[in-house]
Amino acid sequence: MKYAIAVGLLLALVAPAVVHSDSILAIAIYGFMAASLAVSFNLIFGFTGQLSMFHAASFGVSAYVVTILVTTFKWNFWLAIIPALVVVMILSLIVGTICFRFKLKEFYFAVVTMAFSEVLRLITLNWNSVTNGSLGITVVDKPSIWTPSGSFAISSGVSWYYLTLALLVIVYIICHRILASWIGRCLAAIRLNDQLGETLGIDVFKYKLLSFAIGSVLAGLVGAFYGFYSGFVEPHYFSIPLGLDIIAMVLLGGVNSLIGPVIGALVLTALPHVIELSAELRIALYGSILIFVILVMPKGIVGLLTSRKHAA
Amino acid sequence: MLLDIQNLTKRFGGLTAVSNVSFGVERGEIVGIFGPNGSGKTTTLSLIAGILKPTSGAIVWKDRDISTLTPFEVAQQGLVKTFQNPQLFPELTVVQHMRIACHLHVKRALGIGRLRTLFSGMPAELDRTLEHKIGQMLELCRLSSQRNDEAGALSYGGEKMLGVAMGMVCDPELLLLDEPASGLGHDEITNLDAVLRDLKSHGVTLCIIDHKVGFLGRLADRSIALHHGAVIATGKTEDVLANEAVVAAYLGKKHA
Repeated sequence: MKYAIAVGLLLALVAPAVVHSDSILAIAIYGFMAASLAVSFNLIFGFTGQLSMFHAASFGVSAYVVTILVTTFKWNFWLAIIPALVVVMILSLIVGTICFRFKLKEFYFAVVTMAFSEVLRLITLNWNSVTNGSLGITVVDKPSIWTPSGSFAISSGVSWYYLTLALLVIVYIICHRILASWIGRCLAAIRLNDQLGETLGIDVFKYKLLSFAIGSVLAGLVGAFYGFYSGFVEPHYFSIPLGLDIIAMVLLGGVNSLIGPVIGALVLTALPHVIELSAELRIALYGSILIFVILVMPKGIVGLLTSRKHAA
Repeated sequence: MLLDIQNLTKRFGGLTAVSNVSFGVERGEIVGIFGPNGSGKTTTLSLIAGILKPTSGAIVWKDRDISTLTPFEVAQQGLVKTFQNPQLFPELTVVQHMRIACHLHVKRALGIGRLRTLFSGMPAELDRTLEHKIGQMLELCRLSSQRNDEAGALSYGGEKMLGVAMGMVCDPELLLLDEPASGLGHDEITNLDAVLRDLKSHGVTLCIIDHKVGFLGRLADRSIALHHGAVIATGKTEDVLANEAVVAAYLGKKHA
């Protein structure tokens, strides 16, 4: 599996030299951002067993904070990411503390986080003076990076391609390091049997909150970039369908793996473009895939691939 | 005294499950708590382990009242409980269970320094110590040959032994065993008996509840008999077993 990931990354690195189509690059860029969201979501869902519906909200809040700071207050993009992530962290700690103190699990946790997410969406929708309501905010600025030969604006497809690929790699490595450490064992214990974990001395509340906060902040990191690539932020970022998309990506790719959500996200981002579909049909397709995956391959694409290997 | 239970009472609505129970556990001894079904044994153990909160009374552990602590805080104090129905982490192998159970070890050994392991991985020396300890404990609990098996594939007795092994690898000062012999066959009980004697010889303090009088009678230095949530006899195990009230509680007055 390690080699497959390394080869995949290598191919991704050289792809822009071969592929010159802007639309394919754009699909890859959206795919990388979706994959980063899915990987961070899977830290909370697949590895800690908490079905968070707050992920899209973390993503959206951060997108709005960065956009407002840059467009209204003329902050530097990179500097604006810091307060955005702090806001997401505080929100996730509040929501997480409420949910985990009341020992909300499974369905109840999903519903309550969804409610918090809706509250934030409604605030964004109605706080016209700051968020421009349902119209959203158009983002014309592009982040720039400093090189020895001067500042360089990230505006071309290829530069966004590498930026979002780097983002995905960073999110992936952070999640990988966490899961390989003692925290990963605590999260597994919580996912599989939290009562037993607690009698073995694991602070279930703390580790649930930690996983929720880290996953949410990583979603916020993706959100910070998203608006600047797409050119606008809108209340739709907080929507339940976006949350469901992320779940579909994770389920399709494979819940108990790190690379699974990446595969799921890339497939589901590319699919509608490969087979041209209207928005309504796209949602129907997502739904059908979700049902199919749950029934036929509960461990997703990765589960299917690895079980084939074991069988052989 | 290591553990001192003082006037412990637990009411569930109108039902008094544990009523004014007091007893103590000294370091290095095996204390048995027995009584028929419904006598409040498991409730008492759950109260000590912090899973339930007492209605009144105190649980004093090394001169400190721990009755308000949560289960993980109790475990961190050195009191670890096993479950009557074996609790497992489904999907994981025996050795993976043991690694999770090493949580307190890693915490004690590294403290906040665990953050460094996010970048550098677990220190090799600690890893070796833990693996050695896991191997030792699996050996002691007769699970070595199944270390890489999925825990769900173990026999019922094996699952119970894994519970004891996980509890032991936490290095508890007091291990609370909730009906370790229930549901086990004759051979498995003999095996468990040997394991618990081994543990005792390693200086572990044990508090065992069971309604199998024979099993506890052979093992416990001292016993407490419960009936309807109250202590009806306490003292040396053979004296308690000979106590008229205890015999009556088990067999009914007619046979006493």
